[in-house]
Amino acid sequence: MEKYVKLAVSFVKRQYYLHLLLLFLFVVFSGGFVSFKGLETEQAAKVMEMYVAFTGILLFTPLFMPEQDKEIWDLERSREMPMWKVYFLRFFLAFVVFLFVITLFFNFMIKGGSEFDLFILFRGTCCEILFLGSIGFFASAVTNQVVIGYMSAVIYYALNMGGGKYLGKFALFQMMQGEYGTWMYWLAGSVVLFVSGIIVRERMAVGSFRAAGFRPL
Amino acid sequence: MFGTLFLKECRQVLKSLVYYIFLVAFVFSVNSQMSGESWKSLKEPQPGEVYYGRTITRDETLIMEGTLANLMQDVYRGSFATYPLGFYKKVALTEAERKKVEEILERCTGKSYEMLESERNRYFEIIEQQSTLEEVIAAETDYKVPVREGLTYEEFGIAMEEICNLVGKGSSYEKSKYENSIYVPMTYEGAKEEFAALCTKDLITRGYMRLFCDYAGIFLSILPIFVGVSGALRDKRAKVQQVIFSKPAPGMVIIGSRYLANLFMISIPVFVMAFLLQHPCYKMARSMGLQADFFAFLKVPCLWLLPEIMIVLALSFFITEFTDSILAVFVQTAWGIGSLFGADVLVGNFGLSLVARWNTFGQSMLYASLEKELLWNRGYYCLLAVVCILLTVIVYERKRQKGGAYGKVCKTGC
Repeated sequence: MEKYVKLAVSFVKRQYYLHLLLLFLFVVFSGGFVSFKGLETEQAAKVMEMYVAFTGILLFTPLFMPEQDKEIWDLERSREMPMWKVYFLRFFLAFVVFLFVITLFFNFMIKGGSEFDLFILFRGTCCEILFLGSIGFFASAVTNQVVIGYMSAVIYYALNMGGGKYLGKFALFQMMQGEYGTWMYWLAGSVVLFVSGIIVRERMAVGSFRAAGFRPL
Repeated sequence: MFGTLFLKECRQVLKSLVYYIFLVAFVFSVNSQMSGESWKSLKEPQPGEVYYGRTITRDETLIMEGTLANLMQDVYRGSFATYPLGFYKKVALTEAERKKVEEILERCTGKSYEMLESERNRYFEIIEQQSTLEEVIAAETDYKVPVREGLTYEEFGIAMEEICNLVGKGSSYEKSKYENSIYVPMTYEGAKEEFAALCTKDLITRGYMRLFCDYAGIFLSILPIFVGVSGALRDKRAKVQQVIFSKPAPGMVIIGSRYLANLFMISIPVFVMAFLLQHPCYKMARSMGLQADFFAFLKVPCLWLLPEIMIVLALSFFITEFTDSILAVFVQTAWGIGSLFGADVLVGNFGLSLVARWNTFGQSMLYASLEKELLWNRGYYCLLAVVCILLTVIVYERKRQKGGAYGKVCKTGC
C-alpha cells in the first residue's frame, strides 16, 4: 500500500499538480461564468455539459505525461511493478478527484435552489465527462503526446457544437436537449477507450523494447 | 540561412502528426458547416413578393421599443438571461432591484408598471387565444413597448446602463447587443438595394467568402494552438535544445523561420478550402451574367483569418517558450471558446473579438459600414502577434545565455 501512495504522491508532485491547480481555479471561478441558481433540468444539464465537461479533459488527458520522456518510460518499465498498475493508480487518482469535483458542482446547484432529477443528471454527467476525458486519455496513450490528447478532446468538444449530427449516439450535449438515453453509449465508449488505451500503450512499449534489443519482463 | 531554416521547419511541420490532425479536423469542421450553399438561393428580388427576409434595424425608435419589450418580458418572468462568458447565467433580482428596474421602465415609457403589465397581458392573451404556436412566437418577436414622448436615445442608453449594472455582464441590455439585435422585415426597395450592393460592392464571392471566414475563424481560434505548442516544444522533446542553442544562427532567425513556416503551413489548407468552396459560387454568378471576384478566396481570408492565425500561433509560441510547458493549450483554448461564446451578435460587432463573426451571406451594406471596425480589429491582432514573436525571441535568447529553461515554471511540464 505504501508504495502505491508513494507513487501517487510522486506523480502529483512532479507532473499533476499544475493540472490540479488549474482545476481548482476552474472550480473557484466557475461562479463568474455560469450560474448555479434556480436552474431547471435542461439549464442544469447545459452547465454540466458545456462547462463542467472540461473537468474530464483536464483530469484524464495528462496521465501519461511522465512517459513522454522515453528514458523515464524505459526506466519505469525496468522496475518490478507492471506499468498497467501504475496507469491504473493514476486513473484511480483522477477518478476520485473527478467524482469529488462533479459532486461539488451538483452541490452548488442544489444549494442554489435548482430543480432536476439528481440521479439521472448525475449519471449522465459522469458518463459524458468520462467519455470526453477518455478521448484525450486514449489519444495521448497511443501517440505518447499529451498535446495530441488535449487536441483530440477539444476538437471532439468543438465538433459537437455544430456537427453533433455526424456523431450519432456518441454526440455530446444531448441532455440539455432533453435526451437522457445516451449515457450507456458514453459509458461503453469511455470503458473501451480507457482499457484499449492502456492495452495499446503496453503493446507499443513491448514493441519498442524488443526493437531496442531488450526482452520484455 | 533564413530560407534554409524556413524549408527545414516546413518539413518538420509536415512530419508532425498534430498537423495532420489539424488538417482533418479543419476540413471536416468547415465542410460540415458550409454544406448549406446559401448562394444557391441568390436571385434578384421581384416586386409583390410576400417575404424579402429580415434585416437589423438602425431606427432608434424601433431599437428602443424592441429593447423595452424584452425588458418588460424579463421583469414579468422575474429573471434575466445573461452570458458573461458565453455560458448561460440566470440572474434573479432582489425585491429592491426589481423595483429599480420597474422605475426605469416607467421612466422610459411614461406609464406605471401596473399599466404596462396589464397591456402586456392583454396583448398576449388575445394572441394565445386566436393563433397557432408559430404565430405566438412571431408575435413575441413583434411585441413592442412604446417609448415616452420626448425620450432621447441618450437617455435610453443611460437607462440601459443602469439595467446592466443591476443584472451584470453579458445581458441583452448592453449597447452592442441591443443595437444589433432588433430585426424588422425588409421591404422590396431595401431588398433590391441589398442585392445591388452584393453584386457591385461584394461581387458575390466576397460575400460568400465572409461566411466561410466566419466558420473557419471559429476553428482557427483553437486549432493552431496545438500546432504552435507542438512546434515550440519539438526541440525539447527531441532533446536537441542545447545543440540548437550552440548554433550560430540568431534567435530571431530560428524563431522567425519556425513561426513563418508554421503560419505558412496552416494557411495553405485555409486558402485551398476557400478556393474549393468559392469555385461553384463563382461559376454560378458568372452563369447568371453577374460580375464575380475570382480572387476573393485570397483577399477575404487574408484580411479576416490571417491575423487570427498569426496571433493564435504567436501567443502559443510565446507562452510555450516562456513556460516550457503546455500552458498555452489551456489559456488559449479558454480565450478561443470565450471569444466564440461571448460574441454579442452573430453578424458584426467586431470590437476586439478574436473570432470576428459574420454568420450570413451578404448584408453588404452593413459590412461596408463596419469594415473600418474590422480593419482596426485585425490590425490590432497583427501588431500583437509581432510583439509576441519579438518577446519569444527575447525569451529564447535569454534561455540560450542561461543554457536551459527560462525561470522555474514547470521544467517538467511538457
